[in-house]
Amino acid sequence: MLVIKLLSILVCLSIGVVHAQELTLKVSTEPTTMKIGQSIQLQAAVVDGQGNEVEGREYLFFSRDRRALSVVDTTGLATAMKHGEYSIVVISPNKDKGRLRADIQVIIEPEAIAKVEIEDVPGEIYAGVTIPLSIKVIDEANFERPEVDVNITSSNTKIVSVAPFKKLIANSGGKSTITVEAGGVETKLDIKIVDNPIVKIELAADKTDGRSGDVFTLQARALDKSGKVVQDAPINYSFTGESYDVSAAPSGLMTDEGKFVADEPGLYVLHATCGSAAASVTISANQRNITRKIDLIGRGSINTKHTSDLWIWEGVDGKDYAVTGTWGADGKAYFWDVTDPASITLIDSVQVDARTVNDVKISEDGKTCVISREGASNRKNGLVIIDVTNPKDVSIISEFSENLTGGVHNVFIYKNHVYALSAGRKYYSVNIEDPANPKIVGEFELDTPGHAIHDVWVEDGIAYSSNWDDGVQLVDIGNGIAGGSPSSPVQFASYAYPSGSNHAAFPYRDKKTGKFYVILGDEEFPYGLDPGGKKPSRAAGFLHIIDFTDLKNPKEVAWFQVPFAGSHNFWVEDDVLYAAFYNAGVRVIDISGELLGDLNRQGREIAWIVPEDPDGYVPNAPFTWGAQPHKGHIFYSDWNSGLWSAKLRPVVPENAAVESK
Amino acid sequence: MKKILFVLLVGLVMSVNGQNYYVYVTAESEDEVALIKFDGKDAVVEKTIPVGVWPAEIEGPHGINVSPDGKYWYLSLAHGNPYGTLYKYSTETNEVVGKVELGLFPASLQVSEATGLLYCVNFDLHGDMVPSTVSVVDPEDMMEIQRIETGVMPHGSRISSDGLFHYSVGMMSGELFEINTTRLKVNRVLQLDGKKEEPAKNAMAGMDHSQMDHSQMDHSKMGHDKMYHSKVKPTWVIPHPTNNKVYVAGNGSDEILEVDLEKWEITNRMATGKAPYNVDISPDGRYMVATYKASAETGVWDLKKGKELARVKNSRKVSHGVSISSDSKYAFVSVEGIGGEPGTMDVIDIKKATKVASVDMGKQAGGIIFWKMEE
Repeated sequence: MLVIKLLSILVCLSIGVVHAQELTLKVSTEPTTMKIGQSIQLQAAVVDGQGNEVEGREYLFFSRDRRALSVVDTTGLATAMKHGEYSIVVISPNKDKGRLRADIQVIIEPEAIAKVEIEDVPGEIYAGVTIPLSIKVIDEANFERPEVDVNITSSNTKIVSVAPFKKLIANSGGKSTITVEAGGVETKLDIKIVDNPIVKIELAADKTDGRSGDVFTLQARALDKSGKVVQDAPINYSFTGESYDVSAAPSGLMTDEGKFVADEPGLYVLHATCGSAAASVTISANQRNITRKIDLIGRGSINTKHTSDLWIWEGVDGKDYAVTGTWGADGKAYFWDVTDPASITLIDSVQVDARTVNDVKISEDGKTCVISREGASNRKNGLVIIDVTNPKDVSIISEFSENLTGGVHNVFIYKNHVYALSAGRKYYSVNIEDPANPKIVGEFELDTPGHAIHDVWVEDGIAYSSNWDDGVQLVDIGNGIAGGSPSSPVQFASYAYPSGSNHAAFPYRDKKTGKFYVILGDEEFPYGLDPGGKKPSRAAGFLHIIDFTDLKNPKEVAWFQVPFAGSHNFWVEDDVLYAAFYNAGVRVIDISGELLGDLNRQGREIAWIVPEDPDGYVPNAPFTWGAQPHKGHIFYSDWNSGLWSAKLRPVVPENAAVESK
Repeated sequence: MKKILFVLLVGLVMSVNGQNYYVYVTAESEDEVALIKFDGKDAVVEKTIPVGVWPAEIEGPHGINVSPDGKYWYLSLAHGNPYGTLYKYSTETNEVVGKVELGLFPASLQVSEATGLLYCVNFDLHGDMVPSTVSVVDPEDMMEIQRIETGVMPHGSRISSDGLFHYSVGMMSGELFEINTTRLKVNRVLQLDGKKEEPAKNAMAGMDHSQMDHSQMDHSKMGHDKMYHSKVKPTWVIPHPTNNKVYVAGNGSDEILEVDLEKWEITNRMATGKAPYNVDISPDGRYMVATYKASAETGVWDLKKGKELARVKNSRKVSHGVSISSDSKYAFVSVEGIGGEPGTMDVIDIKKATKVASVDMGKQAGGIIFWKMEE
């Protein structure tokens, strides 16, 4: 490491605080220039009014960008790591409040360009095709340099010409050398263009008559002049169309694989092209016509505190019950008789040492309830196991806080085990075969930097945990797919998306298509809180539909979004998605068939209902937490108003006779 | 007539006095900060400031402090995904002017007058029993510039009056740490349990947990119960303004430990109420006031006499923080409460050792800091 002593004359820079003795902190006013890998002893001195250095002063140097320019010590030894312009702060502390502070500017010079890399292109390219180039410029310090201008030339523009945005156009058969130059460094790429053998494209769609939201799958066959199929033909798919509604523009989505979905009902022409060969097929995307009326049936009002999660179940007596949690309140969970959804009746409650009972779950046999605790007065949170064999007289069996003191935000019960989150970092498998004596038998935690977890849901022996930046994690806890068990969970698949907002997950298998989807929900509050604390908050975020049919290559294929609202908890039953969308209440969505694109724009929303309550805890501020279908009704909990029930009206056949009195 | 004259006289004295005291108090289970005014008689919540960004998640405002110039207040939000956040607010507008992500469960914090930097312990209350850190933040840019490793669950912390040394205690490792605020290094460590070895090293210190796959471990056979848990369980440390001593709340041993900084040893053990939690010393150096978390009391001590003058019953259970006014007259005490109870701030007249006012606020009143006196 090269250490250079900067002995240049320090020019006065009075950035620091001047106090009674008019001391100043002198540093160089000119930027210090460094090379990557170089270390420099930065200089600073406190001087008095006469310019004499004050003895005995200490200095603290720190960089505003430690990853590019490191220095955090009292000596001022700075090491350059990445090109750019940076600043270093110097502080000379003083116990008599005469602290001085100044900035030193540092320029780290970029290294020369070392190489230009071009991602592989096919050995032979058919004439008439456009080829995008992927180019990386890398310098001597191994930093990628996207800001450096790149020049692309072709040795024979009749064969290959250069188009804007780093694209090549294959004009005719022959060879051409492509030269890519950046910062004085060149890389050459020999390209061979062959005559396009494709003279005809045969195009068919799996159907020509469907609805908006239905996926039309194209099958294109590229044929040469002898009628032989050209297997490696690079076919581009596109569409044009006209809407059936004169007030709406046609819109939809076409994938690279030739799958088309219409957002707007209309007549669409789907195209396949390769060079000069082209074919098209016309399809009709008709109105989806799946909207249904939804009726508010009943409610169990809670307007003295916030309500959190809900769970509806059939009790051992055959009647139907609900449990709801409370948030930021007094640690209560409420039990309801919902056998008659029009007459929801509060039948019992429990109170535990907590401020928030965020999550509530019931065992498969309807006998055991688990609630989560946060905000315990002794800061030892955990979970509480409750006997709900008689929901009218529930009783706490045990409280469990081992390794869970940091708060249990969410839980799930599956086959005598509770999967309980701990302090937002991991989840434990807790055996509750003896509910009076729960015991931890296993745990699952990621090892990524700064990992966190928000929720876990279990179905068919697979735990789906939502891990914010790390997305959804599919973990075998007894399914057998990866040899996992409750005591030895085994992760076997995952999917993360850039926003890092993954808050909840629900699996869904479409029986008709055989597709296996996992629906991932965001939780986002980008608009912040009302500084006055009076207006309700507004959420954002949406539902991401991930195709996990190929577990090793999950793919985000569709989404459901509600403008000016954000997703929270959701549930799938019989090809219908019931989603709580905070400010926008409950949304009921048709997710039958293959899913692709923007489900809301495709008219897949069946119904919606918003729990507005002028007498709510916060009046007229719907903030729906979760929704669950149960025996033909939809139950949903709202943060400001409690438990509600609704019911979709039956589907009326289009040609049904209308009886009138 | 005498009564009327007396009332008039008291009123006259009050109006001449005319001092208003302002205190910021966090409501940890409400995600709010209350700005409370005490006029010598009544305490009222002047303003409630919602904090954090997640309305449906508790972010847990924990540590709070005011900049030496009184222009800003700083707040640690303990819970995040997974890291907590330090916020900077203007005292003029009570609006956010900056923030920076810190470590796990950032807690107590203070700005050094000597360096201008802010030092915040990363409590990591619910993490593994491994040493945590003190984050050093440049409050001008709201940028973390260094993390200094200290003990297991570092909680209470305060800076010496000259701003040159930062003191913090490792709650579970039972250690007192002195950090040089300029060199950003641990200067000295004092084991408060009286053991020769360093408990932090004996717990699980030194292990690189980032490289371990905990999911593969059988924790049931790891003997977590045998990990080191300090008997003193120190939860707070406060340097005396002049006598070169610091005072440590021994939450587990029901005592306050006096540590002589010159000798770097415990020179006195003062028996307290149950579970002393936070401690403050009056700016004139005469009084020490400590909250007793488990007995819901606040102890007022005369430090010259080394004697507890009184134990004042707090308004509700779970006494938490204490901050003394700059005129050394009043101690402001936050009381958490339990479950759905509101939090409360009690005002204690130190000389009289009596509670003179209290006001309810958001749930789980915790971090507390005296801001200013104003006529």
